[in-house]
Amino acid sequence: MATATVSSPDPGPVKTPFLTGTRGYVIRKISWSLGTLLFVLVFNFFLFRLLPGDPIGLYSRGRNMAPEQLVKLRAQLNRPVGAQFLEYLSNPFASTINSVRFNRPVWELVGERVWPTVLLVGTSILIASVAGVWLGIRSGWRRGGTFDRWTTGTTNTLYAMPEFWVGMVLLIALPFFPSGGISTPGVTGLLDTILDTAWHMVLPVTALAIVYLAEYTSIMRASLVDELRQDYLQLARAKGLREDLVRRRHAVPNALLPTMTLIFLNLGFVIGGAITVETVYSWPGLGLLSYEALRGPDIPLLQAVFLLFSIGVVVFTLFADLLYAVLDPRVSSQ
Amino acid sequence: MHHLVRRALSVAIAAGLLAAPAATALAQAPAPAQGKVTFTVGIQSDVDSTNPFTGIVVEAYESYALMYDYLVSSKPEDVSPMPSLAESYQEAPDKKSWTYKIRAGVKWSDGQPLTARDAAYTYNRVIKGDFEQTNYGNYVTNIERAEATDDTTLVLYVKKPTPIMERLAIPILPEHIWKDIDGTEVKSFANEPENGQPIVGSGPFRLVERRKGQFLRFEANKEYWRGAPKIDELVFRVFLNADAEAQALTRGEIDFAYDLQSNVYESLKNKPGITTRSSQYPGFNEIAFNNGAALADGTPIGDGHPALKDKQVRLAISQAIDRDVLVERVLQGHGSPADTFIPPMYPALHLDPATKQTFDPAKANQILDAAGYPKGADGVRAKDGKKLELRLFVREGAESEATGEFVKTWLKDIGIEVNVKVMSEDALTEIIGQGEYDMFEWGWVVEPDPDYQMSVFTCGKRSYKDGDSIFADLSDSFYCNPEYDKLYEQQAGETDPAKRAELAKRMQQMVYDDAAYAMTYYYNDMVAYRSDKWTGFVPQPAPDGSLLFQYGIHSYLTIEPVKATSPAAAAAAEDGGMSPALIAVVVGGLAVVAVAGVLVARRRRTADADERE
Repeated sequence: MATATVSSPDPGPVKTPFLTGTRGYVIRKISWSLGTLLFVLVFNFFLFRLLPGDPIGLYSRGRNMAPEQLVKLRAQLNRPVGAQFLEYLSNPFASTINSVRFNRPVWELVGERVWPTVLLVGTSILIASVAGVWLGIRSGWRRGGTFDRWTTGTTNTLYAMPEFWVGMVLLIALPFFPSGGISTPGVTGLLDTILDTAWHMVLPVTALAIVYLAEYTSIMRASLVDELRQDYLQLARAKGLREDLVRRRHAVPNALLPTMTLIFLNLGFVIGGAITVETVYSWPGLGLLSYEALRGPDIPLLQAVFLLFSIGVVVFTLFADLLYAVLDPRVSSQ
Repeated sequence: MHHLVRRALSVAIAAGLLAAPAATALAQAPAPAQGKVTFTVGIQSDVDSTNPFTGIVVEAYESYALMYDYLVSSKPEDVSPMPSLAESYQEAPDKKSWTYKIRAGVKWSDGQPLTARDAAYTYNRVIKGDFEQTNYGNYVTNIERAEATDDTTLVLYVKKPTPIMERLAIPILPEHIWKDIDGTEVKSFANEPENGQPIVGSGPFRLVERRKGQFLRFEANKEYWRGAPKIDELVFRVFLNADAEAQALTRGEIDFAYDLQSNVYESLKNKPGITTRSSQYPGFNEIAFNNGAALADGTPIGDGHPALKDKQVRLAISQAIDRDVLVERVLQGHGSPADTFIPPMYPALHLDPATKQTFDPAKANQILDAAGYPKGADGVRAKDGKKLELRLFVREGAESEATGEFVKTWLKDIGIEVNVKVMSEDALTEIIGQGEYDMFEWGWVVEPDPDYQMSVFTCGKRSYKDGDSIFADLSDSFYCNPEYDKLYEQQAGETDPAKRAELAKRMQQMVYDDAAYAMTYYYNDMVAYRSDKWTGFVPQPAPDGSLLFQYGIHSYLTIEPVKATSPAAAAAAEDGGMSPALIAVVVGGLAVVAVAGVLVARRRRTADADERE
């Protein structure tokens, strides 16, 4: 060893490369995300201008509009692309042109649809991930046991069922719950409103959670099964740890990583809503808004909605990446 | 315990676990507002805006009619004009103005008096407005200005005599509220209740709560000049899923389900307490022909098949269509065969042609033979080497697509090859404007005043050019007949209803004889409601017309509970419980899940066993 040290050339002053280590990892991830966002921003602008269709014709259909009015509206849309792009970049959400279909500023429309969706999909993912991880651990640890067999069987069956069908079956099966909407007309007061909303959430949340559940269960189960044969578990047992301590302290934390990725990816898609479940339960969320925007096409609204979806996915993927570095130090040291 | 049974049980427990949050919430079901008589209508598209200058869907116009008054309205019996906020109206002898006598003593919901000044303000705002013209521009093109000579007299000065003055459907707005909303602000003005303050209006109901995408709640105006509504509250509840709407009606969550598709309608038939109703409606569908696409100035555009410029070919096609079959098979009987473009729901204006283009393939073949389109070896007719191969564009949706398939078969029998293509309405709109079609399937809903519908067939409503682009106007057949245009101009200035009706009939005859369209059917409006709980509906027109969503507010004033019951009894009546069929569906669904779960589990066990060996 000593000889080797002597014979090696002088390495000079030790440099810490800027883009390595945890700091480098974080910076790299964040700049990637920003780059992706910028690309999406530019891409969206041109994508929607390639769509066919006559927004003014669409807007005037069924209205008692005078012809001069139409000419004026057209003039607004015929401005140079460059000018439109600058305006678009300056603030995509405060587009000066209202949504074509709803005739209101797009951010206002998007704003009022965000919370119902976050409430619905967020709650469902929370319930499904907690329950799914628990079921996955139980069944993976005792692989092939009775609990494993019926959990996997049931969740796979539920997973195979279309969301709208699960929604309709629940709707018909549980007639004491409201058949749609978020609130009852005329309900006031904070407590009453909360209870009323919870009451309306039961069916849609259950339907969505059922569908998500299988994903989390099977991923958690599979990654736990992978860990079962690892030597460090034998070591832990050899140290004399109880079985459930081996599971909780050693196997589960390692097996959680893939599930975390999935949860965060799904959270990114939260904002996209759950179009089918929203439709079944007349839940006025973002999924439906994007569907309505697409039918137009309502270009200003589509731009805002798509941008929001992209931001959702990019931000949560970034979160997942950063969290990975915390959970598994190997990730950032590479 | 047998292991299969045990597994099935565990499946059931899993299902129970999922329903656990349901059970906790169950204990806290909110109680409905007590003591109030509420009538709830299920609608399938939300009111797009409660600002009367912005909204466009029929549900929005219904909300304006509930909140505001109009100078004139339409009679329930036959949809003919009737006085409303104007208790009488008269054209001046010199035909240069109309005078409306505004009802005295009407109040806005905030207590301010409603006068002719509010009416003059509203009309002037539309006349001078920019954005305000969007929804009502066509009503005021002929009106120069509005003037309130005193609190009860409104004078509208016209550029030339026009019959539209009896049909002015512009809601009268309160000047003291709307004067603060300028021409820019009005574009995004929501006109929704804020801080619990209802919208100021004069109509039979006032909007007190609005949740977008969910519901609108109206409170009755018990001082309404036509008499207090018999209900206290009216709710429009939005359903994006027709099956859920039907469920809600069966359970009593809603009292009236509007605008049902025929499959949902059929599923509600013969249910206890529910009456289904297929009402006469002013809509028709047609196969429209490309009569020779051109701009309004006559420059030809598009790529329509030249044979369709030949009236004989269009007539032959019209006679090859079996309208009875379409009504039976496409509409399931909810409609009637159509002939002219003003539906029979308007008996004063509708023309029932003396000789009809009835289904007669032999006659159709004969017409085409005589017109010089002999059949080729492949059975397809041709003239000057150009085959009668026509494109037929239909819209996405079961009814339009089915019509397309029928027409294709019928035209094959008379030697015409049809290529059916399905597309979205938006895509089709674009194509029609460019004249790039041969035939398409679509329809119109005709207003009580026929002017708009009649204008569709004038030369001036063909597409127009702006820069290098061609844009659609109202014409979707490119029908152009100077004689028709002359009659159109004449009726536009005819203020004698009888003479105008005569002109309207001649115009319908002309379009019918020229076969600009092959009309297919007049369709009905399908609704279902809780007849065990509600009575007092006023159909428009009598006796087969619509119960709600009419021209003018009639039913909402007279709807009442079947008999006065105590709230407790009403609540008991609402609690229908599960029907045997429902229980069967539920049990069936759970059984499928259970069996599938067991099967998968068994498979897995076998597989595991294999792996181990």
